[in-house]
Amino acid sequence: MTAARSLLAALALVVTVSAGFAQTAPPGDPRTMTFDPVTFTVPEVERVVLANGIIVYLLPDRELPLVTVSALVRAGSIYEPADKVGLAGLTGTVMRTGGTARLTGDQIDEELEFLAANIAMGIGVESGAATLDILKKDLPRGLAIFADMLRAPAFEPAKVELARRQALEAIRRRPDNPAGIAAREFRKLLFGADHPLGRESTTDTVSRITRDDLAAFHRQFFVPNQLMLGVTGDFEKPAMLEALRKAFGDWTPQPVALPALPAVTAGAGASRSVNILRRDLSQTHLRIGHLSVKEDDPDYFALALLEDILGGNSFTSRLFRDVRSRQGLAYSVGSRIVPGNAGPGFFVMQALTKGPSTHQALASMLDHMERLRQEPVSPEELQLAKDAFLNSFVFSFADASLIVGRLMSLEYHGLPKDFLQRFRDGVVKLTREDLLRVARAHLHPDRVVILAVGKDDDFEQPLTTFGKITVLTLKPGG
Amino acid sequence: MARRLAPLVLCLVVLTGASAATLEDRVVEHHLANGLTLLLMERHQAPIVAVNLTYKVGGVHEHNGITGVAHLYEHMAFKGSRTIGVTDAAKEKPVLEELDRLAEAITAEKARGAAADRTRLAALHKQFANVEATADGFVVAAELTMLYQRHGGVGINATTGKDLTRYFLSFPANRLPLWAAVESDRMANGVLREFYKEKNVVLEERRQRTDNSPSGRLHEAFASAAFRAHPYGLPVIGWPSDLDALSRAQTEAFFQTYYGPANAVLAIVGDLNPKDVIALVEQTFGRIPARPPSPPVLTTEPPSAGERRVEVEYAAEPQVLIGFHKPGSGHPDDEVFDVIESLLSDGRTSRLHKRLVQEKQLAGAVSASSDYPGTLYPNLFIVGATPRAPHTAAEVEQAVYAELDRLKQEPVAPRELEKILNQIDAGQVRSLRSNGGMASRLAYFQAINGDWRETFKRRDRLAKIGPEDIRRVAARYFTKSNRVVATLVKPPKSEVESKP
Repeated sequence: MTAARSLLAALALVVTVSAGFAQTAPPGDPRTMTFDPVTFTVPEVERVVLANGIIVYLLPDRELPLVTVSALVRAGSIYEPADKVGLAGLTGTVMRTGGTARLTGDQIDEELEFLAANIAMGIGVESGAATLDILKKDLPRGLAIFADMLRAPAFEPAKVELARRQALEAIRRRPDNPAGIAAREFRKLLFGADHPLGRESTTDTVSRITRDDLAAFHRQFFVPNQLMLGVTGDFEKPAMLEALRKAFGDWTPQPVALPALPAVTAGAGASRSVNILRRDLSQTHLRIGHLSVKEDDPDYFALALLEDILGGNSFTSRLFRDVRSRQGLAYSVGSRIVPGNAGPGFFVMQALTKGPSTHQALASMLDHMERLRQEPVSPEELQLAKDAFLNSFVFSFADASLIVGRLMSLEYHGLPKDFLQRFRDGVVKLTREDLLRVARAHLHPDRVVILAVGKDDDFEQPLTTFGKITVLTLKPGG
Repeated sequence: MARRLAPLVLCLVVLTGASAATLEDRVVEHHLANGLTLLLMERHQAPIVAVNLTYKVGGVHEHNGITGVAHLYEHMAFKGSRTIGVTDAAKEKPVLEELDRLAEAITAEKARGAAADRTRLAALHKQFANVEATADGFVVAAELTMLYQRHGGVGINATTGKDLTRYFLSFPANRLPLWAAVESDRMANGVLREFYKEKNVVLEERRQRTDNSPSGRLHEAFASAAFRAHPYGLPVIGWPSDLDALSRAQTEAFFQTYYGPANAVLAIVGDLNPKDVIALVEQTFGRIPARPPSPPVLTTEPPSAGERRVEVEYAAEPQVLIGFHKPGSGHPDDEVFDVIESLLSDGRTSRLHKRLVQEKQLAGAVSASSDYPGTLYPNLFIVGATPRAPHTAAEVEQAVYAELDRLKQEPVAPRELEKILNQIDAGQVRSLRSNGGMASRLAYFQAINGDWRETFKRRDRLAKIGPEDIRRVAARYFTKSNRVVATLVKPPKSEVESKP
């Protein structure tokens, strides 16, 4: 606690230290070693809004002759129509591959790869993102192509068809990957199979998507007033701003109507649900969890630290030490809290264990969840979790692109720009009683969704002890 | 503790001219009297360092009977030492030895097969469980990693491959003394505790990566078919029966043989003062006695007399792997394959992607690798692909051969080779973006090539490879009789239907 406070003080003073090591004697006991707090400078990031609404973050870092431009746009699969699930993803793919008003997709690939430049583009669930990573000497050329891709993608019909066929092949191969099955089915159980946060593309929805749909989706969401750019690397700010104005300045803003996200009702059940998806596997994929807080919830940081203790920290978490090291039941075991932004977040524990230890692993994990509600964590556990968080805090500022990327993401989600500092300040003050209160308020073992993907004939004991079982099936083409 | 399934694929990299000298000048090389090699690079962007400790040991040092031991040891390295991870090592020792005796008795009884005495086995298992519970009483769970995490360590992990085993993490720069104390302690005084439980963890890892993974199964069968003598054919994760039977004594002996300081390369990159770090490493790792050199790998793969084909039956969509035997690290032809790999599968404009994925649309994905499954010894050039329905593995295979034949017939255009060099040069610049990436690269080239400067020298050799070299190498190695092919096929219908 004291160390943590002085860390804050040091941060405020913005000191950098790179001193020699104190120890010159024989190595001491690492358990009793103490060190000065980790101090570091957080660089100032400039934020500029262009006339057409594009928000620009700039942070030069002149170490290497490289420039990275990242774009973040308010688009996502939550905005695609229910009968065309997959549209957002395809749009992102073909914006990258399908050429622009000036160049074909193949010409762009040839040029970029000859320059050893990378452009990546994709549209996810709640946001669209693109990155240009290029040698400084080639920036003007790269930036022109990058801007064209964002502004005027050509959606060449052959590339649309190729992307669609690839998407259908990926759907065909879904059953081959048990981890993917578990992830998708769990989301469906939590958010609802028809909800934008839970649904998945199918052969039907992908087959229905046309080139015009892609062009319309792009037109609707890719507008300058919905775009943020983050620039890091080897550049001068005035010259970079001028280059950005040249590339994006004459792009006209458009009003955008964002479809509202329906309320989530599926995973908010009043009792446990136990679901088995039968697959011929020698190892069961277990997921246990429920809906949880949004990122701006005042309890989020406490819940995140609690979750580090439960299963978030690899090697040292309770789940790792017990389910893996002590019981030898799993190689992969842990937990996560994924805070919500557009919709609710979720909490999940997961493990992969052989069929005949499925019941035992599941029971252990639920016990650990319950224990957090029954008794406070030990003072040592709390101290370890705090120390681990605070001493590794510097890695959140390890390079310019991390710093800029976070600021963009915070603004995108409407969170304050000092979110991480507030988060840290909150962690410093946490007590065991706080964690107990948060566990009781936000962890509900009696209301979890349980999913087991595996061969239930092999389970050492039926999962009926945990609740009434629903057997799920994989739909072909789903 | 992730195990690397694919071979280590580093893009080869380099800077040209003056900047290469600058980068080379930033590396400090130091050799300890016990044989450990230390490589340091200063990078003061943030008060953090990345550490990569690479040992020249891996699956290639195993044989049937002890497969999986290199990887199992890597897991055990996180269990602590005579002082870390234990309340009282002196009292723990006889308990662990009692556990070993019981495990040996169980293995011996099980080895009798059908004649095994089930009553005796049950009694032994019960006794084993009791003694194991006593041993647990001495364990301070995860103390080693807890020390690292408490002091801000991130990315704490290790990998075991065919040629190398690597331990790495990033740390706040001022806490290096703690890291050096812990890491040198486990190099000198490691204790294999929680050994028998960890085997179960590894068996779960095997189920996850191999047994329930279509591509995991295919790769295991493919390597077995390709290497009948050389240990590159053995699975790094181990055969389940070997893992079951492996003793603590065998694992300890493996550690004593291969984990000497002369087999270690330690690379540290970040906010450091080389003088201070050299003193620290001398103070800690320098106290570890030298060990005799580890024995060389003597088995060589005899030439194959004709194509080898294997099928793996599994209820999944088809996949195909095609390999050609080739020389390993140090042979001049080896680097020609690196250029061929780039030509065929680096990027959207590479030949295989362009022809098979974009134009003919036969494949969902296709990729090549020039050093499979390891780098040091004679190995394979491989192409892996997933057919896109309704196309078959056979169609994909033929299309791959057509592209390989083109290499034999048409000279590669100069612009294609220039593109590859541009990629290599830019890759070198990008490699400096991360302390961890740079530490990994330096340690890798030192361990594989015996000199970290190879990361630069190699570029100039690659720049000299011309169309005629590629034509010659393609014609010599891409032949049917030098080929190994594995395909993943669905089991006969009746079996599929019986599965739920």
